Amino acid sequence: MKREVLLSPDQPELGSALRRAMEMEPADIAFEVREAKLLGRGGAGFPAGVKWVLAGGASGAKKYVICNADEGEPGTFKDRVLIERYADRLLEGMAIAGYAIGSDEGIIYLRAEYPYLVPVIEEARSRMLSGGLLGKNLFGGRFSFDVEVRMGSGAYVCGEETALLESLEGRRGEPRNKPPYPVNSGYRGCPTIINNVETFITVPHIILNGAEWFRGLGEDGDAGTKLFSISGDVERPGVYELAMGSTIGELLDLAGAVDIQAVQVGGASGRTIRGDQLDRKLSFRDLPPGGSVIVFNGSRNMLEVLRNFSDFFVHESCGQCTPCREGNRQLRLAVGKILEGEFCCRRCLDSFFELASVMKDTSKCGFGQTSANCFVDIVGGFLDLPEDCSRVHEQNPCHEGR
Amino acid sequence: MAKTPEQVVAEAADRTGRSPDSVLRLLQEVNREFGYVPHEAIRAVSRITGKSAAHVRGVATFYSFLSSKPRGRHIVRLCSTVSCEMKGSSEVLKALEKELGICAGNTTPDGRVTLETTSCLGLCDKSPAMLVNDVPYSGLTPETACEIVRGLR
Ligand SMILES: Cc1cc2nc3c(=O)[nH]c(=O)nc-3n(C[C@H](O)[C@H](O)[C@H](O)COP(=O)(O)O)c2cc1C
Ligand code: SF4
Ligand code: FES
Repeated sequence: MKREVLLSPDQPELGSALRRAMEMEPADIAFEVREAKLLGRGGAGFPAGVKWVLAGGASGAKKYVICNADEGEPGTFKDRVLIERYADRLLEGMAIAGYAIGSDEGIIYLRAEYPYLVPVIEEARSRMLSGGLLGKNLFGGRFSFDVEVRMGSGAYVCGEETALLESLEGRRGEPRNKPPYPVNSGYRGCPTIINNVETFITVPHIILNGAEWFRGLGEDGDAGTKLFSISGDVERPGVYELAMGSTIGELLDLAGAVDIQAVQVGGASGRTIRGDQLDRKLSFRDLPPGGSVIVFNGSRNMLEVLRNFSDFFVHESCGQCTPCREGNRQLRLAVGKILEGEFCCRRCLDSFFELASVMKDTSKCGFGQTSANCFVDIVGGFLDLPEDCSRVHEQNPCHEGR
Repeated sequence: MAKTPEQVVAEAADRTGRSPDSVLRLLQEVNREFGYVPHEAIRAVSRITGKSAAHVRGVATFYSFLSSKPRGRHIVRLCSTVSCEMKGSSEVLKALEKELGICAGNTTPDGRVTLETTSCLGLCDKSPAMLVNDVPYSGLTPETACEIVRGLR
């Protein structure tokens, strides 16, 4: 169901949430966000309040608030739209986070593909500085907070939070082992919270209206509203805000879609469902909604779509661990062979499904753990191959070496 | 006189600092100034930050916006990911390749334009999309894309 908070034309006065927050105890803000059950909007869905409570309690004189504006998931553009329209609200959300965990320094890690958003953020920052909403001794108290923008350099994996930290520290964006978690040892070894643009922009609304209000916005036990970037075969591509827990069908009605063959939810590494499953829910309990929804009509060859995504994964794997680096190459080769008609039946593909499950279990970060999803979903759900062909498999070239 | 890579690195280091943390930022500044990261810059960054040249090179080659080869005065990055492909980015690419007389991944002989394909630019509500230097263009057709590229001097 369409329900606008972040995108509502009726926006609260800038700074009112920060003022309200600073009348509270820092720990109470983290508790309020936790009570609101705000799950991270960057894809993984970790409870933001839990992160804040942990970082607030971590020992360290210096702490950091980092905004993940690396938005690289194919089909996602909600963070770009949010920054274009609400950069000041983002800075306010980050300042509230700073106050909650005891940090005076925020960093926005902005993807290299969005250089034109730098002036937008800088202008918002200037307005906030002159309005006394950023800078030293806010509202005459002891709390100071400022934000710096740092650029990525074109690497999708840097959206993974520990790769992002590596990149901020000037190195290759290769994900770290966890633990330690960033809340204890993040940027430069200091306690750090990393949250998505949308997560931060949601916080001022929670502070002003309360955790209970926020929980009540969702459907079926999910909390809040969520932004979706919808593209592909729809009449009105764009960003839509819906109650969390809404169905795919409700979103597609807003964007206008007909003759739906498939819908991919959560980007290339998300799930691909068939057009007859539109009652599936946009929720962390059903289809985790990173932000991207791509619609494919009946005229699309889903294998070509898969080939495009497979190229993306081969290109963007950081190469640090074997299951992901080599696994994605093998899956890409398999897709090419399927397109060339080299595989005669599902049995021929068994070993690739096994590879997909190995990648899921043994890759080091979320990239490799999810990049086989679209292979499994598309080959499993959209490919018209017999279960087992009548040919004698021992003599079939695609069974060589088995 | 044009600055040398060593000068650019030294000047940038006054802003970014000289710690190992600055390696990527120094390389970004070099890439902005020269359009690519020349070998001398790798050595200069290595000297100034105290990290090995191998480490610095490893960083430089990780990121797709840092180039190890000289590039054109203008960089055109056309998105080739799914949403754009569905809206005809392959036709736009063909037209641009014909217009410029080069294949994607190359630079025109006069050093005017480098043409690249890239992953999703986050403009899929207006696919197909491209980034020309720092400026986004979307809702492209082969004609409008060629017109934009023709205007680059
Ligand atoms: C390969 C990969 C790419 C990611 N890209 C992004 C991204 O672009 N933006 C983002 O906010 N989170 C991204 N994440 C999730 C982050 O690791 C992290 O969970 C998130 O920034 C936490 O913020 P949140 O809890 O507010 O969502 C990515 C994760 C993986 C594994
Ligand atoms: S899973 Fe892939 S992206 Fe993640 S660390 Fe391994 S190689 Fe790198
Ligand atoms: S797919 Fe081209 S901009 Fe996203």
